[in-house]
Amino acid sequence: MIEQLEQVRVEALQEINRADSLKLVEELRVKFLGRKGVLTGLLRSVSQASPEERPALGKAANELKLQLTASLDQKFDDLQAIEKARSGREDFFDVTLPGRRPRLGHLHVISQIAEEIVGIFAELGFQVATGPEIETEYYNFDALNTPPDHPARDLHDTFFVRPGVVLRTHTSPVQMRVMEKMQPPVAVVAPGRVYRVDADATHSPMFFQIEGLLVDEGVGFADLKGTLMHFIHRLFGKDIQMRFRPHFFPFTEPSAELDILWTSDKGGGASQTKWMEILGCGMVHPQVFKHAGYDSEKYTGFAFGLGVDRIAMVRHRISSITYLYESDMRFLEQF
Amino acid sequence: MRISYRWLKELVDFDLSPDDLAHRLTMLGLEIESVERPGLGVSGIRIGKILDIKPHPDADKLVVCQTDVGQRDPLQIVCGAKNMNVGDRVPTAVVGATLPGDFTIGRRKMRGVESQGMMCSARELGLGQDHAGLLILSQDFPIGEDAVPLLGLDDVILEIEVTPNRGDWAGMIGVAREVAAALGTSLHLPDSSLTEADDLASSVASVTIEDPTLCPRYIGRVMKGVTVGPSPLWMVQRLVHAGQRAISSIVDITNYILLETGHPLHAFDLQKLLKNRIIVRTAKHGETIETIDGQSRSLDEKMLVIADAEHPVAVAGVMGGLKSEVGDSTTEILLESAVFQPQSVRRTSRILGLQTEASARFQRGADPEMAAFAMERATKLIQEIAGAQVLRGQLDEFPGMRPPLELTLRYKRTGVLLGAEVPPATQRDILTKLQFDVRERSPESCTAGVPSWRHDVSMEADLIEEIARLHGFDNIPSRLPMVRKTEVVLAPRETEVRELRRLLSGLGLTEMMNLSFGNPSDLEKAGMGENLKGMVMLQNPLSENHAGMRVSLIPGVLAVLASNLRRGVSDIHAFEVGNIYTKTENNELPTQHLRLCLVFTGSRADAHWGVEGAKVDFFDAKGFAEALFVSCGIEASLMSFAASGPLKPRHSAQFSCDDTVLGYVGSVSEEVLGRFDIDQPVYLVDIDLDAMLNLPRSKRHFTALSVYPPSLRDMAVVVDAAVPAEQVLQIARDAGGDLLRQVSVFDVYSGKQVPEGKKSLALGLTFQATDRTLTDKDTQKTWDRILKNLRDTLQAELR
Repeated sequence: MIEQLEQVRVEALQEINRADSLKLVEELRVKFLGRKGVLTGLLRSVSQASPEERPALGKAANELKLQLTASLDQKFDDLQAIEKARSGREDFFDVTLPGRRPRLGHLHVISQIAEEIVGIFAELGFQVATGPEIETEYYNFDALNTPPDHPARDLHDTFFVRPGVVLRTHTSPVQMRVMEKMQPPVAVVAPGRVYRVDADATHSPMFFQIEGLLVDEGVGFADLKGTLMHFIHRLFGKDIQMRFRPHFFPFTEPSAELDILWTSDKGGGASQTKWMEILGCGMVHPQVFKHAGYDSEKYTGFAFGLGVDRIAMVRHRISSITYLYESDMRFLEQF
Repeated sequence: MRISYRWLKELVDFDLSPDDLAHRLTMLGLEIESVERPGLGVSGIRIGKILDIKPHPDADKLVVCQTDVGQRDPLQIVCGAKNMNVGDRVPTAVVGATLPGDFTIGRRKMRGVESQGMMCSARELGLGQDHAGLLILSQDFPIGEDAVPLLGLDDVILEIEVTPNRGDWAGMIGVAREVAAALGTSLHLPDSSLTEADDLASSVASVTIEDPTLCPRYIGRVMKGVTVGPSPLWMVQRLVHAGQRAISSIVDITNYILLETGHPLHAFDLQKLLKNRIIVRTAKHGETIETIDGQSRSLDEKMLVIADAEHPVAVAGVMGGLKSEVGDSTTEILLESAVFQPQSVRRTSRILGLQTEASARFQRGADPEMAAFAMERATKLIQEIAGAQVLRGQLDEFPGMRPPLELTLRYKRTGVLLGAEVPPATQRDILTKLQFDVRERSPESCTAGVPSWRHDVSMEADLIEEIARLHGFDNIPSRLPMVRKTEVVLAPRETEVRELRRLLSGLGLTEMMNLSFGNPSDLEKAGMGENLKGMVMLQNPLSENHAGMRVSLIPGVLAVLASNLRRGVSDIHAFEVGNIYTKTENNELPTQHLRLCLVFTGSRADAHWGVEGAKVDFFDAKGFAEALFVSCGIEASLMSFAASGPLKPRHSAQFSCDDTVLGYVGSVSEEVLGRFDIDQPVYLVDIDLDAMLNLPRSKRHFTALSVYPPSLRDMAVVVDAAVPAEQVLQIARDAGGDLLRQVSVFDVYSGKQVPEGKKSLALGLTFQATDRTLTDKDTQKTWDRILKNLRDTLQAELR
């Protein structure tokens, strides 16, 4: 019996090895393992063997059955693979289908830039301060050396709540509120919403400014230049060209505006390079220190104010300021 | 202010191209808004003389002219203008000439008659807007010469923005003075010498100042034998370049002098001044004046007027009166050159709603010395152009005469303020060039007498600014300061708010930023009318829509939701962080509170091939709020409340922590959605961030991690449909004690499988002890206790 089994093994493995079609493999499966198959027949005859031989025979027969099944399966898979490869119809796993992406949220572009700017100054040691948006005329103008009937008030088209109370036209009143709360050294940045009676493609009645103030002994215009140049380099890159240009603000002296040389896209491949105003700055006016109760002989300082909207528009080539505050999702989701 | 490059060259020596000049002025603080070349591209224009004018044979409105342009034969030109006569000299574009806008002149036939060129109006040459007829030139223009330089068409115009502190820059001389100081070159003031008649002005007219505070100086001059006529072309051309129109000689001269000196003048018809008197006084109660724009103006008792013996004849420094205006028939004039107090002019101008060239200049502060120069210069021109006989003497009242202000400059202070050493000699030199009267007092300091036109200089810091400006900001070094820290923390919440924004956007919400205005109508629409009494209203809103300040973020959020839906964006998961404002009862400033609003509408996830689309619902909104509280370490509890405002009753709930109300979550009611034209469900969370961030936070103390395995069991109970799940969970937690580590709801079912009015809640229970492995018996005992308590309290049935 054992010899017979061995003979079947050799014969079957040879035939399986030679098989060259799936059909043949299945025929071999029937021939050897089928109900009327060779091995099945042999297995039946195991029952006629002597009780002593039976266990060993049964084991050998079963092993052979497993071996042949494995061989047939292997051959089947191999042939199938060859056939598939030949016909070019492998299982197609489409990696180009869109991924199951988590829904992405977007920080408002103003938040992003304001955070970035505040972050740059925070690294230099400035801390954040805030103040009321509905402000007294005193803090918004008078304390900043802009008394009533000062022509500089014409530059600000002011929203009035009632006589003496306005929507702040700039973040500068935070300067005075901070100085009233603490003694030098003062190093603050104050981000926030400001308001002016104005509405067109470059003006929104509400917009976003960041104010900065540094007061200590021995702070000079050179410090203002160094700080703001560092800031501009961080925001626009090391290669940006800038200039400080004399200007007028009632609450600083000397006063300057900072321009950067900026190339804007005019559409259709055309571009225009010109100086663009980015912020206003200057040395804190002695009159402002007087209002704050600081000794302007002992302390000097610089202040600056910048429009976050303008920087957002320049950096991202946003054509109209109105997009910033309309909450059009198609706009918000671009940033 | 529009600066003519050629004109400036007459006033000061410099050797800079227009662009270099523009740069130089910019770096001095005179901001250049534009550099214009009005005659750019204009060529082929000659001075022509009209020899003959004949009617066109076929056209009533055209004439056929013969015009001599210095060639052998005159040109035949067909023309539609009416204002010319034979003998007139006119700018004539010959064949091949180009005009502004790339317009080339060719030979052509007009109604059958050949035209060999074009005679031009001022507008056709880019010289302003006058297109009423041909530009008639004076007889001294040489025939056949190139008109481009003669008409100043090759000039360059620099438009500058004058800052409010530098009124002196609002005139050509002021700008020239600055250029001279910056370049160290000479200034050439125009000639103001004139010939006076023997008769004394003071014997004809008088000037009285009743209010010397409001009028520190008033100068009058009397002229007779004036012939009002057209102005010479050189003056017209400069007026036109400055953006003005020529009217008639006297008016043009006062306008021209305003451009030249920056000082406003006014000419009265002397014969219309009662008793030839000028009285500078405040208006009397109930007085009115008809100004030259034909409007009747009511004056109040604080307004300064120029009056004759009886009535106001001008609003001082703002506008003249119609009655005493100089007209074509005027032969005698009283010319005014005065200085008025800026605040007073500003007030009058604002109350009358009348902003004029004159009022703008007086508001910035006029120069009493320039007032005298402007008077002489204007008088000279009137004498030259209008042939006036000038009576002897100025009627000069100068009660406000003051010695120049003397300031001390400490050289060291300059070094401190600029952070840069500027040698004392340089400091003095700069001030001297700017015409300060500098005298050295000691090795450490000098004094500087302030020029009469520098109202902006009143303290040492002002002198230092001048030094910095002329020294050049570029020449000041830059350095990064040492920033000293303090213990004061000014805005402790800012970081948290920023983190919160980051968290929400990280969780998939998009940040909106809406205008912080509000209006009563949107508030009503949102069902929040009761908040109206707290709304801060604006006295001068831009529109009804922005009538006041928002009292809630919700109306604004719903409004932008609606506009997004109209644009086809229908899946929105967004938030806004921003202040709301509330009126206070007393006289204090309105309060400002930071709020957070989350809004959800449309699909839960972006459309995707492998995800079944589902719409957001109440539990998305609630879940975000819960995540927010957990992340901030706040244990918020939720209870249903009688919804008011925008939310739907029974589909909304209130979050609180102890006694602090944190905010609300809910579905927006159909009525509110309807009023905003929103046709899909919207879910909101509205949180009082100030209140939330004020709360004590969880200390997040560590709990020991169990090393023993958890045992997981489920329990499905059937309870009344109206029993809140939270109650079931609470009973389970209480009954489960320490061994129940966690309980969750993993299924809610109501339908055929459970009786009517009931629901089944499937609870997932996790049992675990920290000190041992729980036996089945332990777990079962706890499980049984939970079930028993649910049975006892809620008549729950095991399903």
